[in-house]
Amino acid sequence: MPLYSCNAAAGAISEDAKPKIAADITRIHCDVTGAPPTFVHAFFFEDAPHQPLSGKTVFMFGRIRGGRTDAQKAQIIEEITASIHTHAGIPLDDIMMLTDDTPAKWVFEGGAVMPEPGEEAEWLAKHHSETAA
Amino acid sequence: MIPCTCLVQEGQLSSSTESALRSKLDGFAYESFGVGIDINWIEVPKTGGFTASKPSTSSLVLIQAPAAIPQDRRAILLEELCKGWAAETGQTLHEVVGVISDPVAA
Repeated sequence: MPLYSCNAAAGAISEDAKPKIAADITRIHCDVTGAPPTFVHAFFFEDAPHQPLSGKTVFMFGRIRGGRTDAQKAQIIEEITASIHTHAGIPLDDIMMLTDDTPAKWVFEGGAVMPEPGEEAEWLAKHHSETAA
Repeated sequence: MIPCTCLVQEGQLSSSTESALRSKLDGFAYESFGVGIDINWIEVPKTGGFTASKPSTSSLVLIQAPAAIPQDRRAILLEELCKGWAAETGQTLHEVVGVISDPVAA
């Protein structure tokens, strides 16, 4: 977590564009929140029924850990939307993006309940030492 | 029935493994919550999954509990869920993400 799930009309995002957008998503999320890249998942779908496009060409849904500020969320949305626009050539008006908060304590990843935002370094150090042991 | 979404990478898990996981999740729901489970199995298309900017081998399992649960119990259930998934698939715990959420408030 986070999980960025991108649904797009068939062919709207090329195979070449997907890894570029995924790299941007990872960088943007980590820059804005301070989270480590290992937590960031970006999944791309086409015409997926579980995430209706509602008249748009792209619907990006970010399920992120709770505790981020409104300003952080707005920055994430602005920069990821811009990345899709840049790499896929899709007009900004045809891209919809939303985020939703999931409490960290509801999530198990990397072999442990996830840390609250800001507690990642301690969590990683503890978990890494357990893994290495 | 409680909702469950499984996100897996296309081609990573065999159909027999999927069947075993469905059965395991059904048992998990009954033992943990006393209810059945409605599984939405979603495959991430090949070349469409990335974790840490690299091709993903991660699976995510998201379950909504039928009622709010205390965190100490949730932590135990999350570990059981993810370790059970990893044992069935051969994935490491670094490749399995589990979420057990409380129901959405009306």
